Parts: sequence; C-alpha cells; structure tokens
Amino acid sequence: MDSIFWYKNPDVAAAKSGELKGLKILIQPNISVAGWPTEAGSKALINFKALEDATIVQKLRQAGAEMPGSSRMSEFGLGLQDSQAGEAVRQKITDAELVLDLMGEPRLAAARASVCGFKPSYGIISQFGLIGLIPSMECCGILSGNLKTMRDILKTIAGPDERDFSVPEEKTRDFSLSQIDPQKTTIGIIKEAKKDLSPDQERIFLSSIEEFKKAGFCLKEVSFPEFELFSLVHNMVGSVEASSCAGRYDSVRYGQRAPGAKNWNEMYLKSREAAFGPFLKSYLIQGAYFQFEKYEEFEDACRIRARLVSKMQQLTSEADFLVLPVSGQASSGAVTPLAETYAQFALTTFANVSGQPVLYLPPAPGAVHAGFQLAGPRLSDARLLTLGGYILNLRQGGR
Amino acid sequence: MEFEAVIGLEIHVELKCPTKMFCDCPNRTSDEPNVNTCPVCLWFPGAGPRLSQDALEKAALLCLGLGAELQPRSAFDQKVYYYPDLPKGYQLSQAHLPLSKGGGIEIIDEDGQTRRPRIHHIHMEEDVAKLVHEMEGRLPISLVDFNRAGVPLVEIVTEPDFRSPYQAMEFLKELRTQVRSVGSSECSMENGTMRVDANISIRPKGSDQMNTKVEVKNMNSVRHVGDAIAYEISRQSAAVQAGEAVVLHTRLWDPDKKVTSPMRAKFSGPCVPDPMVPIIELSPEWIEKMRSRLPEMPAARAERFVKQHGLTGEEAALLSSDSEVAGYFEGLIGEGVPPRTATHWLATQLIPAVKERKQELGTSPVTPARFASLLKMLAKDEINANAAREVLIQLFNGNETPEEIIKARGFKQVSDPNALDSLIDKVLSAQPAAVADFGNGQGKALGFLIGQVMQASGGKANPKIIREMLTRKLGSISN
Repeated sequence: MDSIFWYKNPDVAAAKSGELKGLKILIQPNISVAGWPTEAGSKALINFKALEDATIVQKLRQAGAEMPGSSRMSEFGLGLQDSQAGEAVRQKITDAELVLDLMGEPRLAAARASVCGFKPSYGIISQFGLIGLIPSMECCGILSGNLKTMRDILKTIAGPDERDFSVPEEKTRDFSLSQIDPQKTTIGIIKEAKKDLSPDQERIFLSSIEEFKKAGFCLKEVSFPEFELFSLVHNMVGSVEASSCAGRYDSVRYGQRAPGAKNWNEMYLKSREAAFGPFLKSYLIQGAYFQFEKYEEFEDACRIRARLVSKMQQLTSEADFLVLPVSGQASSGAVTPLAETYAQFALTTFANVSGQPVLYLPPAPGAVHAGFQLAGPRLSDARLLTLGGYILNLRQGGR
Repeated sequence: MEFEAVIGLEIHVELKCPTKMFCDCPNRTSDEPNVNTCPVCLWFPGAGPRLSQDALEKAALLCLGLGAELQPRSAFDQKVYYYPDLPKGYQLSQAHLPLSKGGGIEIIDEDGQTRRPRIHHIHMEEDVAKLVHEMEGRLPISLVDFNRAGVPLVEIVTEPDFRSPYQAMEFLKELRTQVRSVGSSECSMENGTMRVDANISIRPKGSDQMNTKVEVKNMNSVRHVGDAIAYEISRQSAAVQAGEAVVLHTRLWDPDKKVTSPMRAKFSGPCVPDPMVPIIELSPEWIEKMRSRLPEMPAARAERFVKQHGLTGEEAALLSSDSEVAGYFEGLIGEGVPPRTATHWLATQLIPAVKERKQELGTSPVTPARFASLLKMLAKDEINANAAREVLIQLFNGNETPEEIIKARGFKQVSDPNALDSLIDKVLSAQPAAVADFGNGQGKALGFLIGQVMQASGGKANPKIIREMLTRKLGSISN
C-alpha cells in the first residue's frame, strides 16, 4: 500500500457530523494540509511542510470528511509519470481522491483505474493552498467510484473564497440533481476529435456511445476544425505560465542546496538545476524560451486560445453536451517525453484551455472500450453530473 | 555642434496604504527586518495574491489628480527576472494594460513659458525585497528584508518632453505637490517614497531624431535629479564630440563625487500576463465616484484664489500648493480677515514661526480662529504690526485669546489725536536738531521723529496717525 501513499495521516479524525461524515478522501501532496509534507512531487520542496490548510481542505474538514493522507504524484502534478492517482480509489482504500487537473490527469488516472473522474469548471473552486503550475488552466479534480460522492464533495468545496479573488463572489451554486430528458438532450460528437484514432479505435469509441442512442438521446456529429490546436495552445501557454510559476522554487530553503558553489548566485543556480526532473525541466525551459525569445508566438497562442474558447461556446448552441474519446492508449512514437505526454493527453487538454467541466465515465463492466469524456458548457457542472448519473443508472438496469 | 537634451522620467511613488498590495501585512518598511511578512508576500507554495482595494483606490486617485485617463480594463503582468530580492521570479506589474494613460502637469520653464510635459501612462506594481550586503568579520554576507516585498507602488512614466534639468526638477516639484494634495503618497525622495529614474539622450539642436538613451538612477533629492541630468548631458555631449557612441545602459549617480558611473546593461526581461490576479475592470460609475473624492487640485485652487480673493498669481500659487496652508488661509478668510492681510501674515509671519518651532500648521496651537481675531484687530488699527508680532509669540506659548494678551500687556494702539498731540509736542521740543534737518529738506529726519514718538508711547502709538500729525506740525513750523 505504501507504493500508493506518499504520506499517511497518523490521526485520522472521525467526525460525528457533517455532510461528508465518514467519507475518506485522499489528496495529493500539492494540496496544503497544515503540518503535512507538501513536496508536490518535487525535490525542490522535499523539506516543505504546509503552513496552513488549503481552503478546500478546511471545507472538507468542516463537512466531516476523513483525510487518510496523500498519494504519490508526478512533479508539480504535470502528467502522470510516477503518479499513483486513482489507484487507492480502484482498490477502494478511499472513497474519493482529489487530483489537480492541469492537462487531464484525473480523467486519465480515472480511465487507468476504471473509476469516474471529474474536472469542474474553472473558477468555482478556490485555488488557495493548491500548489499549481498552470494557474489559468488547472482546477482541482475529483476521482470516485460514485457520482453522488462526487457531487457531495463538489458541493462542499466549491464557492467563493476571501483568500482567492479568482473565484467570483456569487450566490451559492445549485449542485443538486436535476432532471434529464433524453428526448430533449442532444449530445455532440466532435468530428475532429476522432481524427487521430485508428479505424479500430474509432469503431470501439462509436460502439461505446451506443448507450446514448439506446437511451433515446439525440446523437449528432459537430465540426470543430481547429480542435487539434487545443493541445498546441495548452503546450505553449501552459509552459510559459509554468516557467513563471515555478520561478519561486529555487530549492534553496525547502529543497537541498547544491554543495560546492563559489558564491550565492552560483549556489542558487546549481540548487535550482539539481531540483527539477528532466521532464519538468524541459517544460520550464520551453516556457522560458517563449518568454524570452518568441514572445510574439506566445501572444499568438493567447489569441488563438480566445478564439477556441468562443468557438467552443458556439458549439453549445448545436449540442447540450459533447462526448469525446479519452485516447492516450496508442503510442505516438513521439521523440521527447514532453511530446509523448502531450500526445497522451491530446484529447483532454481542450477543457483546461476552455475552462469547461468534463466528466470521465469508465466502461460498463464487461464492455471492451476505454470509457469516454462528457463535456458541458462552462458552469454546467451539476447537469453534467446528472447526465453521468443517468447513464450509470441505466447500466444498472434503472431507467 | 550645439546639442539639446531629450529627457524622460520614470517616477516610482510608494502609495500611503496601511497594508501591502497583495496581502494584509502592514506596509511599514522601517520595522525590524522581516516582521511584516506572510505566506503571500514571501510567496510560499500555494499562496496567491489578492489585490488590495485601498491600493487600487489610492492609485486611481493619483491618476485622476494628474489628469490621466483611467482605463476601463487593466491587468497585471509578470515581469520576469531572477534575483534574491524577488524569490518568486517575477514582479507583478502592469506592463501591457496600465491603470491609466495620458495626463500631464503644467510647469513654468526657465524662460517663464508655460509647458505641459505629458505623462505617457501610470501603472501599479509591487515593490521587491531589500538586499543588505554586510561583512561578518571577513566573510561577506547578503541579507534579505521582506518588509518591503509587496509594498504598493505606482510608476509614472512621462513622455520624453523635458529639454533641461530645470524642467525636470520643476515637474517633480509640481508632481509632488499634486500627489500629496490627493493624499495618495507622501512623495518624499529623501525617505524613498518617491524614486526617480531619468532617461537622457542628446541630439543636435533643432533635430527631431531620438538617439540612444542612458538611464540614470540613485538620486535621492530633486536637486540631485537636476545635477545628475546636467552631468549626463555634458558627459554625452563630450563623448559624441569625441566621436564615441552612446550605448544603452544604466548609470548610478554618486552624490558625493557628483558624477554618474556605469552600473549594468539596461535590463529588459519578458512580461507575461499574470494568470492569478483578476483583470481590473473599472466602470464609469466607479471612476466618477473616485473623481468626486478628488480634492480641489492646486492649480484650480490658485485660479480660484486669484478670482475670489484678488490675490496675485504668485501669492495664489504660494498659498494653494499645500492643501494645509490653503485650508488655513480659507479658514482666516472665513473668520472675516481681509485677504491681503491674511496672505501677508500667513506667508511672512505664521508659516516661518510654525517651521521654527517644528510644528505643523494644522496642529499648531495658533488655530485659524485665534490668529484671525489678532489679524482683525490689526486690520482695524486697534494694534500696530509690532504689537501683533509680539502677540503672535504669546499665542504659541499659551491659550489666552489675543484680546486677553493685548489687554494684559497694554498693547492696545493709541490712535486718539488728543493723547498723541502732547507726546509729539514733547518730542519736537526735545529734538530741535532733527526739526531743523527736516526744515532743510532732509526727509529721513521724519522717520527719526516718528521713531522717537513711538518710543515715547511705549510702542503703542499708531504710526500712521503719528506720521500724519507730525507732517502737519512740521509743515506749520517750517512755514
């Protein structure tokens, strides 16, 4: 079990009351809990213990959740290298797990573990106390085998935070279960999202969404010619933000100071160089390259991002929800770990760029496919979870 | 060849806010090192910035006070550089979408002409930590004080509209006056709450080309700014005449040696949009609300003083530049003191006396009401100027009213001709030589005689009436 846990909480408090009473929620060590080792998967923070609870941790505690510890994660949560996300949920050691979604990690981790994975809308969950890397794209994701658990957790952790101004002050959102009428619900299939699937993969994906047809939903192909740009935009904008964001991790105070430096400047440089792994380092260097050398191209990427977001909004007039494959299974033959990671996440990054909510649903027991992603317009989180629940319910023979 | 200078200024002004810009830490840089810090201004993992509403309002007031146009949409960027005074690797600053654009300040240049150097834009930014380099025995050590990290600043960037050190200095003085009067900053170069960098280039006189500029830093008074610019102009002129190229770099002003020396190549790192601080959207209603909070600006106030109270332009400028002085002046007018008397006595007597006692006008024991009752008696010739100066000293020393002081000390002026008549006759018979001098056309004898009568009255006689009576009497003697 220790291959899953990075840190085990020695005194799990069992609450007597609260909405989440008795629920075990695992986190990752990039979510601050006062006193817990919070290294965010990086040697740069290997000696860092969080000073205070993240806002979402405060809210979970108040709601009576139990916090068994944190699971092993990739460096600063980018990609799934060395990450154990989802494993504890699969083994039912925990009821749910919170994993930051930078480019689709909780969704792919859920696919790996055959559980549900959810990325909420950007801006509804406080980022205070979350050690992020790509602030404009990331959001706290939830993994669980149970959509009601997911909904209860979302209800608990969402909402404005006086410590995070990026979450707008607004009235409490309604996350309660709503009604879904399949006859009146259109589900769009983005033509271009299937482009890179092999004929076999495409056949399997199309068979996986037969469920919707059987249930009476209206399935419809929609076109998004620039869909493949999501990954490129994510890669450029993400690396630039990451490069700035990781600027503060010099490994001098909370990592290990490199020995043998001649002066403080060299000590900083050497310690920082030794702190990051090669994958993250390549990402940060790429970001610095765009910052210092190709700023205009970064600006282009920002403009394209705006265009992609507005096109995605237009699609909501054509379909209520979108269904997409999760991809990632095929080897891309990419030459660098960074390119390979982006190939692996090619079908999940769109939601990080656009900020919209996505729910990954695993295949029904016995089905051969890899599951699929359901996406809704921004702030449609509650309806998306309702749709997911409707499908799972059908699988269990309900209506 | 004759050269002219092209000068632009970048002025950092520290906002007078109780807290830092992105956290609730006290904005007190002079406390013990590193006491005013928190996870946000130390940039701990997981901490995020929250823009202070107070900093935004003070910055907005400053912009409006300088005639700038607040932008409906502004945003913070990350100015990327790596140095231990900035542990997060970037400074939050508004590089692409500044808080305001435009604006300018009227000054009178060395030729007496009115000019209005333009402001290009004003943006907000956070200050960085302070590095202290010391020796511990023979070991050099570097210490970082984070009390200054995150202190709210605005940077005022002017157009290259100055042609001389004088103009730059006048602009800075006027800027200081205006920013102080809106209350956004104390704007003191000596205390570091106003820091000025000057960008200087030269070109042949009459040309409109823009040549390579040199940035000069480290001036800690307005005078030093002028000296540093003057030095830099002559240094560059000499270099160009010697056939050397001016290269883009930063120089430091050495106030002791009065020279600038090269510091480093001018830094220009990337500025990328910050994804954490929300974009600032200012509604027209909010901007109007800020505008309504703007006090009357010195220039407008001076104009009003000329129109309303009949002051000269110079007097009006003197009384309106400091809002405390202006308020005091209007207090005196409100009590019924004639404007000319108020102007004269405020400028030549009260302000120097307050300064001499190291007091502030607003908190001095000589309140407008007390001073006004003194000045009104003066205006009505109930006391003379000498007595009034004596009474003023007493007003600083206790809380008696001017009336009480005058009564107790017998300062009341004697204007009654009957009482004065015998005094004058006594003096005239005691000073036959002076009377003779007057008869021989020596005008200064009159002054001497007036002085004698004043002395005989114990300083209480009304000098105006003495002069009239003496002139009359002496006229009749010489005839």
